[in-house]
Amino acid sequence: MSGISLTNWQSSGHRRRRPNYLHVTVGVGVAVTMFLAYSLLHCMPNEPALVSIAVFNFLFIFLIFPLEGSLLRKVFLLLSGNIVGLAWYLVQLSFEAASAHYLEMGAFKVIYVVMGPIIDLIWIVSFWSLGLSFLASTQSRNEKEKEGIS
Amino acid sequence: MILILHLTLILLATFISAYLIRHYIFTLTALYHQERPPHHTPHDMVYQPKVSVLIPARNEENVIGRILHRMTELTYPKEKLEVIVIDDASTDQTGEIAEDFAKKHEYIRVAHRKPEDGGKGKPAALNHGLKHAIGEIIYCFDADYYPQRDILEKLTIYFADPKVGAVQGRVTVLNEPNTLVTRLVALERIGGYRVDQLARDNLGLIPQFGGTVGGFRRSLIEFLGGWDANMLAEDTDLTFKTYLAGYKVRYVNEAECYEEAVENWRSYWRQRCRWAKGHMQCAFRHLWPLIKSKNLRLREKTDGFLLLNVYFVPILVGLAWILGATLCLVHSSSWITSLWVSIPIFVYSSVGNFAPFFEVGIGAYLDERVRIYWLIPLLFLTFLFNMLICTKALIDLCLSKITGKKQQPWAKTLHNGRGNRCLNAPRRHPLKDIDI
Repeated sequence: MSGISLTNWQSSGHRRRRPNYLHVTVGVGVAVTMFLAYSLLHCMPNEPALVSIAVFNFLFIFLIFPLEGSLLRKVFLLLSGNIVGLAWYLVQLSFEAASAHYLEMGAFKVIYVVMGPIIDLIWIVSFWSLGLSFLASTQSRNEKEKEGIS
Repeated sequence: MILILHLTLILLATFISAYLIRHYIFTLTALYHQERPPHHTPHDMVYQPKVSVLIPARNEENVIGRILHRMTELTYPKEKLEVIVIDDASTDQTGEIAEDFAKKHEYIRVAHRKPEDGGKGKPAALNHGLKHAIGEIIYCFDADYYPQRDILEKLTIYFADPKVGAVQGRVTVLNEPNTLVTRLVALERIGGYRVDQLARDNLGLIPQFGGTVGGFRRSLIEFLGGWDANMLAEDTDLTFKTYLAGYKVRYVNEAECYEEAVENWRSYWRQRCRWAKGHMQCAFRHLWPLIKSKNLRLREKTDGFLLLNVYFVPILVGLAWILGATLCLVHSSSWITSLWVSIPIFVYSSVGNFAPFFEVGIGAYLDERVRIYWLIPLLFLTFLFNMLICTKALIDLCLSKITGKKQQPWAKTLHNGRGNRCLNAPRRHPLKDIDI
């Protein structure tokens, strides 16, 4: 047993930080406030839409809020995601009303039941990825600026 | 009847949700858990035994020169290194190119297989190479791979621990910018290695030996009888044999190797079909021994169980989806039905690709990637593909069991060497720390 030191290659430049619990707490607070607001304003979406929004909030708050980055930006992205979720719910309601009026309700229901959840998930995945992308690109820009200064 | 369908859906949703929770834990672990160091040795000492690198190659003239050139650049002491190219009855220039390198470098050797013996798959070629190898540690690299110069040092140190039977390095896609398929494979690799394998190693679960970019203790591989030529996923087979024999597999995230990923859907289908069948074979073979084993702790057994069954999940997700939709249409009575249809669907993209979207996203974040996140929603395409692939693989396996027919021969993935362009243009490559 002889040769190079173990520490030659173990330093890693990858991102690894302590989770930001304060941001998570704020995120939970924002999400709870939003759900209370839906309930008080009597605009609570139907159950599948509510589950979609809850899943989005859970993944966003517990995976993206603890990361480095501006709290305001994170809250803005969380609120935007919720608005997109609600907008999708309203679009879906409009389609439902239109199809009930002009077509047979059954036709819409089949499409909705089979495809609806997929489309639900597509907005969740897209918006979650978008949020992470914003955060990562800002962080990367800041790191480059810091490197430039030093 | 409706009650039975509801119960079935509950069971399916519970099983699938177990994977979702597992991957969520993996993601948090990769983000915040301290990496486990190699076995402690005195700081000025390192374990550096004689090692053999096996490179099985069948008709790989486009890429064999690249990896052999890299072998000459490895920083591992050459007097302790042996590189064996197994020319698996190639009909192109593979053997000649390898011979050229062997003439110039005495630590490179070529083992030619005769046409009547060759072409029986990678496990058979590796067993042939093992007969010629003299190293204490046996490494395998595919011909289309391109390792870091110091990869052997990074991997070998882990063998200082006598409990470690095998090590696995990280696979990163070299030709990522080439097509949509290579980009999506790159995303899968990020989730699979940067988060999944790393977390399993950190949590002391079952990191998987991936068949390449890794190595075995020679004594162990001989004890296990070498690579099983009847298995289509000989790597997963060896992983479980290693654990059942009382050894561990370690994953080394810093030991990176670049692969030339499949570039079109047809190749993706062929490759994943082989993986799915092979993995299912392993599940049938190792599930019961795993449950009974006294060498494994409960958490290793749980992870092993979930790992062995992972290729059944896309099929179960498909079933849950059909069942949930049917229940919604037939028995649309309460909000619970709506929720049933939601549960499997929420999970589909989570586990369908064997790495949930958030795991892939966090992996990319940890790698300090910037633009790749935009492609994450497209993992939906690979999910649909994997659902079909796994269903076909299961049907094929069942049919071959019933009819007694032997499994299809090894379907080799062809490599066109287009990854070389990425090596020649490193500044444009998305991997900023590529070690050329």
